[in-house]
Amino acid sequence: MAPSDVEEALALRAEHGDEATVLAGGTFLGILMNQGFLRPSAFLSLGRVTALKGIEVAGGELRLGAMTTHRDVERSEAVRAGWPVLARAFGLVASPRVRNQATVGGVLADADYASDPPAVLAALGARAVLRSPSGEREVAMDELILGYYETCIEPDELLVEVVVPPSPDRATYRKFRSRSSEDRPCVAVAATRDGPAVRVVVGAVSEVPQSFPDLCAQAGATLDAQAARAIAAGYAERIEPMSDARGSAAYRRRVTQVEVRRALEELM
Amino acid sequence: VSAAGLDPRVTGALRYAHDAERPGMLHAALVRSPHAHARVREIDASAVPEGCVVLLGEDVAGDGAYGCQVKDERVLADVARHVGDVVAAVAAPTREQARAAVRAVRVEWEELPAVFDPVEAVAAGAPLLHEAPARSARETVSIDVRPIPGSNVCHRFRIRYGDAATAMAAADVVVEEVFRTPSAAHAPMEPHAALAEWEDGRLTLWTATQTPFNVRADLAGCFGMAEEDVRIVAPPMGGSFGAKTFVRLEAVAAALARKAGRPVKLVLDRAEEFVTLNRHPAVMRIRIGARRDGTLVAKELDCWVDTGAYADCGPGVATKLGYAGVGPYRIPHVRVDSLAVYTNLPPNGAYRGYGATQSVWASERAMDMLAAKLGMSPLELRRMNLLRDGDAFATGEVMHDVHFEECLQAAADAVGYEDDPAGKGLCVLLKGMQTPSRAQIAVERTPIGYVVRCASTEMGQGVRRSLRLMAAEALGCEPGQVEVPDPDTDSSPFDTRTTSSRSTHMMGRALEAAVADLRDGDGERGVGEVFNDGGLDPDTGQGVASSHWHQGAAAAHVTVDEETGVLTVEHLHASVYAGRVVNRPGAELQNEGSMIMGLGAALLESILFADGQVTNANLSDYNVPAAGDLPKRLTHDLIEREGAEVHGLGETALPPVPAAIGNALQSLGLHVTELPITPELVLEAVDRR
Repeated sequence: MAPSDVEEALALRAEHGDEATVLAGGTFLGILMNQGFLRPSAFLSLGRVTALKGIEVAGGELRLGAMTTHRDVERSEAVRAGWPVLARAFGLVASPRVRNQATVGGVLADADYASDPPAVLAALGARAVLRSPSGEREVAMDELILGYYETCIEPDELLVEVVVPPSPDRATYRKFRSRSSEDRPCVAVAATRDGPAVRVVVGAVSEVPQSFPDLCAQAGATLDAQAARAIAAGYAERIEPMSDARGSAAYRRRVTQVEVRRALEELM
Repeated sequence: VSAAGLDPRVTGALRYAHDAERPGMLHAALVRSPHAHARVREIDASAVPEGCVVLLGEDVAGDGAYGCQVKDERVLADVARHVGDVVAAVAAPTREQARAAVRAVRVEWEELPAVFDPVEAVAAGAPLLHEAPARSARETVSIDVRPIPGSNVCHRFRIRYGDAATAMAAADVVVEEVFRTPSAAHAPMEPHAALAEWEDGRLTLWTATQTPFNVRADLAGCFGMAEEDVRIVAPPMGGSFGAKTFVRLEAVAAALARKAGRPVKLVLDRAEEFVTLNRHPAVMRIRIGARRDGTLVAKELDCWVDTGAYADCGPGVATKLGYAGVGPYRIPHVRVDSLAVYTNLPPNGAYRGYGATQSVWASERAMDMLAAKLGMSPLELRRMNLLRDGDAFATGEVMHDVHFEECLQAAADAVGYEDDPAGKGLCVLLKGMQTPSRAQIAVERTPIGYVVRCASTEMGQGVRRSLRLMAAEALGCEPGQVEVPDPDTDSSPFDTRTTSSRSTHMMGRALEAAVADLRDGDGERGVGEVFNDGGLDPDTGQGVASSHWHQGAAAAHVTVDEETGVLTVEHLHASVYAGRVVNRPGAELQNEGSMIMGLGAALLESILFADGQVTNANLSDYNVPAAGDLPKRLTHDLIEREGAEVHGLGETALPPVPAAIGNALQSLGLHVTELPITPELVLEAVDRR
């Protein structure tokens, strides 16, 4: 199924639900299918739904269509000007070939723990717009991604857009790779500073991005070296890291402490 | 490199084995074992749609075994010995139909105990993979295997030179360590591909192979045919690095084509590549003893070389790994015991470097450990012990045309080693070439120039261009007037194979002889032949290991983030002895390609297994070096000497890279023994320091 407009896509989604696998850029599904882990009986391809592709700034917010590619986000003048950390984070994903194919909606809907965008979008307070024939709802990143490859998207919903609020004063994204420069992150740290408010989100260490607002609040209004160390130590203690080919749980914990501190130092 | 846009590899005009087509051909797919070790009880193919041809055990019951050094493999396995072992095959009008039909085949299995580690596989009580002890395959590859009956050892190679135990006991300083290297993927862009066709009892295969004549002989034996009734055509390959050596897909494609009565083409996908042929994982225990002044007195090396489910060329790899691990040093007392061991992993075989990568990692890391213990400069320790012209190697052969010191010094100078060795490491390498071997070539005059017929295969290394340049120079014509057709065992003279960086050296000299023959004769056709004689006694390691030595060195400069263990290669340099360069751009690309592949071995690459199942069988989870992973500076030398012989250089710059990087870490007090050197391993070394 290859609908060409959103309404048709939503109707097909509502009709077939999870019987049809939603296909966006196909970079993730392609690997699973090539290895025989996934053999969908039907696809709902969004490739022809041009209305889902696009970058727009409205009311100070950034709106990214679900079918916008990583490369589009990386190269967008509007994103670079208003949300440079987002352009940078999308630009760090894999290789140009992958970024030309992989989409904003796809990377969120597949909910792979080892992806770059979720942590940075969470730190920026982004919301995913989920639409069904009966309406629309907006969910924050921590509501969207529930676990390993698991989201709150209902079988009659499509993720159609991502809305990013006005950029904070300062933001950074540190992608820590333990293998190739084109690898997925081993530890992903996104940090923002808006007035006195500091936010840190750590991705790729466990099934969903990790955030502990109380640790940032405890550190107080002045973000100094001591506060950065305290927050970093708190994150390292609190996260429940997993082990995979990119690093053991113990290693991830150590790197988290270093990378959270370094991210905060960048915001001083 | 030809002008952009004209290179047929760039325009898409080049036809690979992957592109081969024959009228009426079918496409094949393979039924593979999901178990690491399991007996096939029954196969039910009744659900396979009509129009498909299914190849089952009974169809190949009359066929023999094959294997380049040990005949331990059958067209279809009745006992699967690794995940991915082929137990049945299907041919269908399209590849998709063939793959769907494979999913309709039901196999009933009886699972058997499995073993995945070469040290465990030689322990008492380990599950045995092959009931019959290994026996040498005489007709193809001259290696005299020494199996240990009743064990998983299909070959043990020994060097007995002097009295290592006694000398070690008398040494002033002894260093001992165990080093490990994992399995790795060749990852050529083009996967394995073969197309088989039978006509009037003759078998023709268009196949991606570095070894056309070995494949011909092995298939003839397997199918009970005369060698002349098997024809192997070898189109250029989209990369190989050793992956496309000996019989891989050819036997099953041929058996399917025989049953189908039509040509059958078989092309693997990326995941299948990971269960077809990989690099040997190895464990090396090394002891090296020296006098207080740094003079080496003894070396002992025990190697467990994991050849996987089938021997393939594992006996040869264990042999070369064994003597390469001695290193290019004068050591009066040497003992090596190198075992090629069956395990329930996919077969392991030739991989650019051919065992040297594994053992040089161990032996050259041990040299720096020894230097540290002696309080000497690693450069000085090497210098005082390096082989020089006229010295005897541990095989007893006297070394000639020796350039180790020049290579080592050039590498050291490139990174400013003597000015400041901190963060810097060196490695020097000796690597043998296939010995004995034979290369024949024919040069024929045509109305517009010459045609050069030989079985040297093109895999991107540029052998055709080298032959064309050498022929043009010898014949006094333009390179464009020299045609070099695809190797074809019906029309190309015999060549042992295109491996071990031997083609430019061996075939190049055969070509000179062929041109001389043409000149001496009627001017229409000339043939040339060279052979190198030798070989080692597998029980003592004495004899002639190599008629021609590949010599090189590498130097690395690294910095380390000691909070995360991330290592940055600031500068990587390789110095390779070339003698005389034939095709400069090609030679430079060989050096750079080898170094980058060595960087992958050093820092990134490892096939991961869970109960024998590959868990990273794709190029997203298996990381090969990307452009962003290259060192900040990547430089190299091609060392030449006036009037020198042409030296092979297709692999030399690869094996020394991991140890150069490991030794750079050693200079910072960070001791690593395993590859790849991940940030996590470096951080553990920081903690231990």
